Amino acid sequence: MGALVALAGVTVLPFLELRANRLVPGVAYPMMAAGSWAYLVWLLVAVGFLSAVLPTAKVRAAASTASGYGLIAATAWAVGAATRSLLVSQQPAMRVSLGAGVWVLLAGTAILGFSGGEERAGTLLRRTVPIVLAVAAVAAAFVWGGLDRISLAREFEVRASSFWSLLGGHLAMSGSGLGLGLLFGVPLGLWATRNRGVRSVVLGVTGVIQTVPSLALLGLLIAPLAALSRAVPVLRAIGVQGIGNAPGLIALTLYALLPIVRNTYVGLSEVDPAVIDAGRGMGMSSWQLLWRVEFPLALPLIVEGVRTASVLLIGIATLTVFAGARNLGNLIFEGLGQFAPDLILLGALPVIALAVIADVALSALGRALTPEGVRA
Amino acid sequence: MIRLEDVTRRYGDKTAVDSLSLEVAEGEVCVLIGPSGCGKTTTLRMINRLIEPTSGHIFVGDRDILSMPAEELRRGLGYVIQSIGLFPHLDVAANICVVPRLLGWEKQRMAERVDELLALVGLDPAAYRHKYPRQLSGGEAQRVGVARALAADPPVLLMDEPFGAVDPLNRERLQAEFARIQRELKKTVIFVTHDIDEAIRLADKVAIMRDGKLQQFNTPEEVLNHPANKFVHDFVGADRALKRLVRVRVADVMRSPVTVLADADPISLQEAAGRRRFAYVVQPDGRLLGWLDTRSLAEGTRPAAAMTQMDVAEASVRPDDSLRDALSRMLGLGFRSIAVTDKNDVLLGEVTFAAVEDVMTEGDEHVSNQPTEAPE
Amino acid sequence: MKERRSIGVATVVVAALAFSWLVSAQGLWQSFLRALFPAQPVVLMPRDTLAAFVLQHLALVGISSALTIAVGIPLGIFVTRRSGREFRGLVVAATDLGQTFPPVAVLALAMPVLGFGFWPTVMALFIYGMFPVVSGAISGIESVPKAVLEAAEGMGMSPWQVLLRVELPLAARVILSGVRTSVAINIGTATVGAAIGTGGLGVPIIGGLAVQNMAYVLEGAIPAALLAVLADAALAQVEAAVTVQEAAAG
Repeated sequence: MGALVALAGVTVLPFLELRANRLVPGVAYPMMAAGSWAYLVWLLVAVGFLSAVLPTAKVRAAASTASGYGLIAATAWAVGAATRSLLVSQQPAMRVSLGAGVWVLLAGTAILGFSGGEERAGTLLRRTVPIVLAVAAVAAAFVWGGLDRISLAREFEVRASSFWSLLGGHLAMSGSGLGLGLLFGVPLGLWATRNRGVRSVVLGVTGVIQTVPSLALLGLLIAPLAALSRAVPVLRAIGVQGIGNAPGLIALTLYALLPIVRNTYVGLSEVDPAVIDAGRGMGMSSWQLLWRVEFPLALPLIVEGVRTASVLLIGIATLTVFAGARNLGNLIFEGLGQFAPDLILLGALPVIALAVIADVALSALGRALTPEGVRA
Repeated sequence: MIRLEDVTRRYGDKTAVDSLSLEVAEGEVCVLIGPSGCGKTTTLRMINRLIEPTSGHIFVGDRDILSMPAEELRRGLGYVIQSIGLFPHLDVAANICVVPRLLGWEKQRMAERVDELLALVGLDPAAYRHKYPRQLSGGEAQRVGVARALAADPPVLLMDEPFGAVDPLNRERLQAEFARIQRELKKTVIFVTHDIDEAIRLADKVAIMRDGKLQQFNTPEEVLNHPANKFVHDFVGADRALKRLVRVRVADVMRSPVTVLADADPISLQEAAGRRRFAYVVQPDGRLLGWLDTRSLAEGTRPAAAMTQMDVAEASVRPDDSLRDALSRMLGLGFRSIAVTDKNDVLLGEVTFAAVEDVMTEGDEHVSNQPTEAPE
Repeated sequence: MKERRSIGVATVVVAALAFSWLVSAQGLWQSFLRALFPAQPVVLMPRDTLAAFVLQHLALVGISSALTIAVGIPLGIFVTRRSGREFRGLVVAATDLGQTFPPVAVLALAMPVLGFGFWPTVMALFIYGMFPVVSGAISGIESVPKAVLEAAEGMGMSPWQVLLRVELPLAARVILSGVRTSVAINIGTATVGAAIGTGGLGVPIIGGLAVQNMAYVLEGAIPAALLAVLADAALAQVEAAVTVQEAAAG
């Protein structure tokens, strides 16, 4: 299945596009422009096909691993080599960008990786080694293989100085939204477990906020904030204005609330009442019960809420640029405005990467914080 | 040790416990029993102030419990509940040490206490110390629950249907072990159950409740022999005679048996057995081998050749067993008497059907004279 | 119970009618926003009427969500069948990963590949909306107790009868909550579509922010928020309806 997709990628669709400059549409080139590297890609796709028909599960898994990670590395080198050969004797403004074929090839590779994944639950070492090798090969392609000549890399060179500050702005914005969401969300969730009225109000209101489109919420916040900062100069002095970081940060905090409040509430209220009764009966005070029993048991679910919130916030943070914040969203929307695909990618790919990293890291944290006795 | 004076608890216009007074002496097991909704659990939970009385006074030792902080009170009262309420995120040792930790014990002392208590409740400390609650069977978890309640050596134990969720076979075993532990530790115990057999088996005093009112408060023997009213009479059930057997230990009614040595010569054998028809055949060290019918004994044969061999474990009882166990064993084997042995199969005595009958009919004349209407 | 439900349905219907009247009352908005922003010379975006923005938005969301449901639910069912088992791991992994991708990033990435304008945006919304629908369908079907399925088979139902009469009715609530999530995300992401020229309620919001006209922003933001809450409430009613059915049947 994955190999089929990969095959479609290398045969039907254009592999690379050569363009006169970074904005105009280009001319499509097939993978054979990469010369000998193309044969390696073909070979690995063939291994991918074999991985479906080989005799034992172990061999199949090995074949799909080899072709999956191998394809990542080989594609990087093939793209680099083709870029070099295309750019020989061309104008400096010339750009070579990745064609749809490369993306489809990589999607096929991901599918190969996924389908092998279930049989490949080996040791940590066995799982990490191919990943490290593939990353190393891609990095090497940047240094020696000509991959640094593709247009995305060129775009990055041009934007390098602002890129890092925008990335920093992105992390700061989503991080502070998450922090504020925790600061308010956990106590609210706790309060909701102690009081029925509070529960329906808090869960209802955060639920409605969650349904409101993020851009609309941002818009709804800007006008009142602008009025507020005009009316109260102190607020303006500390940076609360209609335009800038304040509306974005408030919107992100509000969005973070629902997952955090709900999971705190559910986590705390799912603690077995018999456990609470036993704790009280043994003479624990309500604080001791909360810290030593209820929170430890609810913690995995709370972290799960934080994970949901962080993935959400990393995406929505891009929209806060409309209210004057500066982060990776600037690259995306500038790119959309200029019809510059490479600029869009330069903004969107790191955003996706951040979201996936946050997801993986917080899932791992959640597992680590799950007390051993209640681990499934 | 524990005194309730005119204690009442109301919920709205419903009275759960109605001016209840009772006194439990130090080292006594007081079983609160009655149909569901009779107020027995409410009474128990008022003693550790998980429920506050509407009016009345409760004294533990000579202190009015309302005059001391609830948490301090509870740390001095062991508490065991039906659903056990072990903390799922803590291992067995940490569960047992909840109260010692609240009291600030030293690590070394806690570790020693854990091993001591696990051994006491019949669990191997090395095997169980670091297990988690979900790895325990129902019976094991309840033993840990009892160990946890005993951790800080409280003088009083409050037990709310502690064996209610355990299967019947394990329940009997747990009851027997509880009786053994109690003989050893002499705690003052308030024990709530709805199982009249359990009450009669374990109680020094039984408090029978109905609709929040105390119906009768006396020893199990008195309750069986002289039910205070029709409600108690019906609640105790028609098999009072059988229940009485639960209260009597084999050791209390056994008599010395007729024995012959396995290699005794035939003449002395005839003499020894002259008074009774059946004789037990033992080895010189007292271990039981079998029995023989002296009338069918042919001249000149030695006992070892004429006796019927016995599976001693199957066909004998221990001094600590109840008369009911002895009776059911006799009925099962079709014997009119049964041997009493120690754990090394050494013959200690025998219990006859006649002796069992005597105990069963002991109080019957009183019962038949009881008024059939309950005095209010 | 039944009475409360019909009250709920009636409330949603009345709210929907009120909403359609509100967004077509151009004059009302004119005077409302004028009162809020007296200094602003123009308070309504001249490019289109508010009703037109709302209709564009509804078209974007309606078409993409309809496609999502038409493709996503059968796909989810397919991978829970015996014939589709082998794709289950792949589809679950892909939807799990896909749901961590921020919708804005996916929309932006679709542009270089699919192009700009209405239909590419519909495509992007359709693809992104699939993730919650498919995973809802899978977990809904798989939440049906095995004993129930065995009983149904034991009574001689064919696989199709088991699916239509047992699995789908019991899974309906979970499947619908996936649809509800998907529609909510679609409505939100569609506002961003304005940045790539698809029209909709994002146009006055983004346009207003660009020219610092707060009146435009509110002209888009208020109806967008109302529309999202309304759609969510309507789907909540549908969800409640199938849940009650389930309780009555079980």
